Amino acid sequence: MAGVPAELLYSKEHEWVALEGDVATVGITDYAQSSLGDIVYVELPRVGVTLTQFANIGVIESVKAVSDIFTPVGGEVIGINDAIDTDPSLVNREPYGAGWLFKVKLADVGQRDELMAAPQYELLISEA
Amino acid sequence: MTLDASGALRRTALYEAHLALGARMVPFGGFEMPVQYEGILKEHDAVRHRAGLFDLSHMGQFALRGGDVAAWADTLTSNTLATLEPGQARYTIFTNAQGGAHDDVIFYRLDAQRWLLVVNASNAAEMWEYLQDEVYGDVALENLHGERALIAIQGPHAWEWLQPHVEAKLAGLRYYGCVETQVRGLADPVLVARTGYTGEDGFELFLPGEDATGVWDLLLAEHRAQGLAPCGLGARDVLRLEAGMPLYGNELSEEITPLQAGLGWVVKFQKLAFRGKDALLAQREAGDYPRIAGLVMDGPVPARSGYAVYAQDARVGTIRSGSIGPSVGKNVATALVEPSAATVGTALEVEVRGARHAARVVALPFYTRPKA
Repeated sequence: MAGVPAELLYSKEHEWVALEGDVATVGITDYAQSSLGDIVYVELPRVGVTLTQFANIGVIESVKAVSDIFTPVGGEVIGINDAIDTDPSLVNREPYGAGWLFKVKLADVGQRDELMAAPQYELLISEA
Repeated sequence: MTLDASGALRRTALYEAHLALGARMVPFGGFEMPVQYEGILKEHDAVRHRAGLFDLSHMGQFALRGGDVAAWADTLTSNTLATLEPGQARYTIFTNAQGGAHDDVIFYRLDAQRWLLVVNASNAAEMWEYLQDEVYGDVALENLHGERALIAIQGPHAWEWLQPHVEAKLAGLRYYGCVETQVRGLADPVLVARTGYTGEDGFELFLPGEDATGVWDLLLAEHRAQGLAPCGLGARDVLRLEAGMPLYGNELSEEITPLQAGLGWVVKFQKLAFRGKDALLAQREAGDYPRIAGLVMDGPVPARSGYAVYAQDARVGTIRSGSIGPSVGKNVATALVEPSAATVGTALEVEVRGARHAARVVALPFYTRPKA
């Protein structure tokens, strides 16, 4: 699973969002994982913490570098992906699937208007 | 950073080959160099278990000639070169008056008169200036930096995959041996040395830039299907850290002496004199100097260069290099720490984004290759 899935929303910091009602699942895009290279450690907020949209809420580490994670949505963290604790390379292999990062109960569904649709995001990365 | 007259980064003779292989290029030592091709972990695995091919043409190569090279270099470096025979190479350190390091280098002795000196890319310009200022007696210097190429093949299969393409019997070449020999398809002989920076068996080929692509393509064409992988500087840094080899600027610098770096075996105090000898003698005598220790992290959080190191509540040092250690199975790091914190087995903590993470001092190297 690569590329830029049409059904997702995107941030300019290369996170994706899958919306189901007021619950958002968040991950990093295929472009982001490819740019980072082999991911070896991910630090995420705890369940129950309230995030502000676009805040710096964690880090993702590749062999060579530490990068910040900016949450594309605000609200309460209601789940984190424990599987990437034991196998961070899931984020490389399945960025849109088993390598998701966390789930947020949106404070305000209108936040989606601050995100990009797939064609806009494709344009962004094609210009990078 | 070394820039050419136009201010642009330089390119090695293999630049187009790297692009064709899909390398990600980064600036390093004034050159555009491949940091990775398929991925750092895959490339690391290839070198540990099969073999990897590296372009190291950014490193500084200086040709030295004359009857006084060894005697002259012995006054400026900490190891002994007078005893080096033709066909041998030696690792040594150009020391400053305070005992710190201008650079760590390898001298290759080709014959009675001719030598090759290989210096770090990041120090090549300064080292060239320094050597020109210091030269005396029957010593002639020629700067080949950027003109000559350097290709390394490293890993347990390096010998097997290089041998069909060179005339010399590589089995007869010992670690830190070197030989000028014919390489298939090339008119002029090439210097082949059993040296490297990965902790594996391997060879380095010093050759004219115009011959580099032919040799690179030949080795990949014949052995890539068997597992030979092009490898970038990212994998090289992980490999050298696991092998306990210093990186200039991290474990060794103008301020960090060879004694502090754990390179006491490269400091020959029995030599009559060399630059920095008195300072190093005094440091050895005092014995209380901060030194490089190997750290293994207990948990999954990698330590990175610059992070603070604590013993209980006391700050005892700073991380100098850090990475995951795929061959160790843990995150590994070097730290410059107070002598009290450097003993093997000492429990330390590394501060990462405000939180302390447990680590333990271990003996270097982290990784030693299995005996053949």
